Amino acid sequence: MNFLAQAFWAPLTETYFQKALIGGCAVALVSGVVGCLVVLRRMAFLGDALSHAMIAGVAGGYLVMKLLFGIEAHAPSMLLGSLLAAVLTVALIGLVSRVSRIKEDTAIGIMYTGVFALGVVVVSMFREYIHIDLMHFIMGDILGVADSDLWVSVLVCATVLSVLVLFFRHFQLATFDPVMAASTGLPVLLLDYALTSCVSLVVVSAVSMVGVILVVGLLITPAATAYLLSDRLDRMMALAALFGVTSVIGGLYLCVWLDSAGGGAVMLFCTLQFLVVLALAPRYGLLARWLRLRRLVPQQVVEDVLITALRHEGDTPLSVFHQFVQQPADLPRALRQMVQDGLLSESADGYRLSEAGDKEARQVLRAHRLWESYLASIGTPREALHPAAHRLEHIRGNGTVDYLAEKLGQPALDPHGRKIPPRQKNNHRKP
Amino acid sequence: MNTTKAPAIEVRHLTVSYGARPALLDVSVTIEQDQLVGVIGPNGSGKSTFIKAILGFVKPDVGEILIRGEDVQKAKGDVAYVPQRGAVDWDFPITVREVALMGRYQRIPWYRNASRADREAAMEALAMVRMTDFADRQIGQLSGGQQQRVFLARALAQGADILLLDEPFAGVDAATEHAILEVLERAKAAGKTLVVVHHDLTTAAEYFDNLILLKQRLYAFGPPAAVLHEELLSQVYEGRLRVFANLMAKEGAR
Repeated sequence: MNFLAQAFWAPLTETYFQKALIGGCAVALVSGVVGCLVVLRRMAFLGDALSHAMIAGVAGGYLVMKLLFGIEAHAPSMLLGSLLAAVLTVALIGLVSRVSRIKEDTAIGIMYTGVFALGVVVVSMFREYIHIDLMHFIMGDILGVADSDLWVSVLVCATVLSVLVLFFRHFQLATFDPVMAASTGLPVLLLDYALTSCVSLVVVSAVSMVGVILVVGLLITPAATAYLLSDRLDRMMALAALFGVTSVIGGLYLCVWLDSAGGGAVMLFCTLQFLVVLALAPRYGLLARWLRLRRLVPQQVVEDVLITALRHEGDTPLSVFHQFVQQPADLPRALRQMVQDGLLSESADGYRLSEAGDKEARQVLRAHRLWESYLASIGTPREALHPAAHRLEHIRGNGTVDYLAEKLGQPALDPHGRKIPPRQKNNHRKP
Repeated sequence: MNTTKAPAIEVRHLTVSYGARPALLDVSVTIEQDQLVGVIGPNGSGKSTFIKAILGFVKPDVGEILIRGEDVQKAKGDVAYVPQRGAVDWDFPITVREVALMGRYQRIPWYRNASRADREAAMEALAMVRMTDFADRQIGQLSGGQQQRVFLARALAQGADILLLDEPFAGVDAATEHAILEVLERAKAAGKTLVVVHHDLTTAAEYFDNLILLKQRLYAFGPPAAVLHEELLSQVYEGRLRVFANLMAKEGAR
């Protein structure tokens, strides 16, 4: 008990941990929210590009302030520089993919590596003037957040969040159906640029904490996690914000306990969180999918049951089904499902067809006997008719049965001289 | 309200080009109000450019488009658009109710939330297409016909008198096709003008009051009997005439 309290409480008393917690949570919360739009617009790669492009902007902003005004590491101008670099990169990407045959993903790859390289060259060229630690830039340092950075981050996040909340409907519509949005006079292009700017702002404030490489994860992983859990955009955003915050909290504890790199621990926790949700999400998760597939009763078994019950008449005991159904392993599940669907009713002596079940069964029987007639007409030996038709009776979609009937001249009797049930218009369910 | 009944859509000498190739060449059409109009033509015949022009998305090289007597650029939002099913992300986290509500967005100022009246209007539109029971479903969980109806409801909620539908009958079965058609008929009865891009010539005569036959130029505009002429169709659909020879025979028999 004491140990637990120690593990959770002790870090909270440290100033560096408190700052990391505040800054990290603010950034993660907003990047989760804006990340939802990034995920839904399939811009994940662009997020990556923006984070890399900003180094050129940071260097530019630093250099301009230093050379013109002699101010060292002026945070606002570096922020502005990154924003400019990001918007410029996006404009260049758009230009290249519009005027040439190069597709957008390739254009993104070319432009962001180019701008990133420019940044790296400038930073190393002017290393006398610019004191930017490239390593810090790439890996981030969530545990060493400076007070000024913290303030900038919190301010930026508040701004972005306000914009997204105020213009939620506009972003939702422009993301979901840009054509309709434009047709109602919404400034779609402006919204695109506004969103790109929001993403850049969040990315810029997150880079100092988790680094260039991991920032895209913070942007999209919480959003993707929320995507698996929600069917409404507002809820998805709320959940993504929550997952962002929990990954920062969880990651920071992880980092203190394991004495590891901060950014890495946060993203690791975030990814684990995603994997857990991927496995367990109630509707879109893997477990749910597996259960759904397992519950699915093969139509073939259903039809075998129907036809067996029809032939047997009255209450059909389980043993009879076992004898005639081709895959008896699925039988109990099929029977349960069919009782639920109202095709069968259960009694002490076995199962009996309901009215709907009887109708459906006659259609299967019609298919069976028509297939038998067809097989006979193409010269199949008499003793092979029944087993072959038993396999073929399940093929009855897309007007197959009607085609057979028409081709054979609407026969009334099958080769064994038994009556072929007439066609029923309103099937209980669609084949 | 306009008391003199201006035509719903008036297209005058419209030419739109991409480079040297005209997508539309000298197209003039006047679509009166309360009509169900089909737009037909082979692939690449400029049908989608025509739709885009009526939505005010393309800048014409020559010509003008009037929506109820007003220039199309000033009539933004007066024409409701129903997208092709393939153009929608059906995994988008949005419910049927919210899609219908989107029709009202253009009336809601940015600083305000959707009011009760907006929500009611959206539900009313859903009732018109008989989708009220599905209001809280995510749109991907609906059948093809239901999905089409939801977007129709959105267009109705928009309150526009002109509805533009891009291939609403693509990829749905016959029963669904009739269900959609019934909704279109009801919208028409409620005083809407509907312009529908359609690809199936065999049903075109049955569904629409008037047909527009396009292939860059306007080949014909008028009642189906006048447009679905073997000679015209063979001009427009070169090479694929055999199919239509059969069709013509069927039309003749009717």
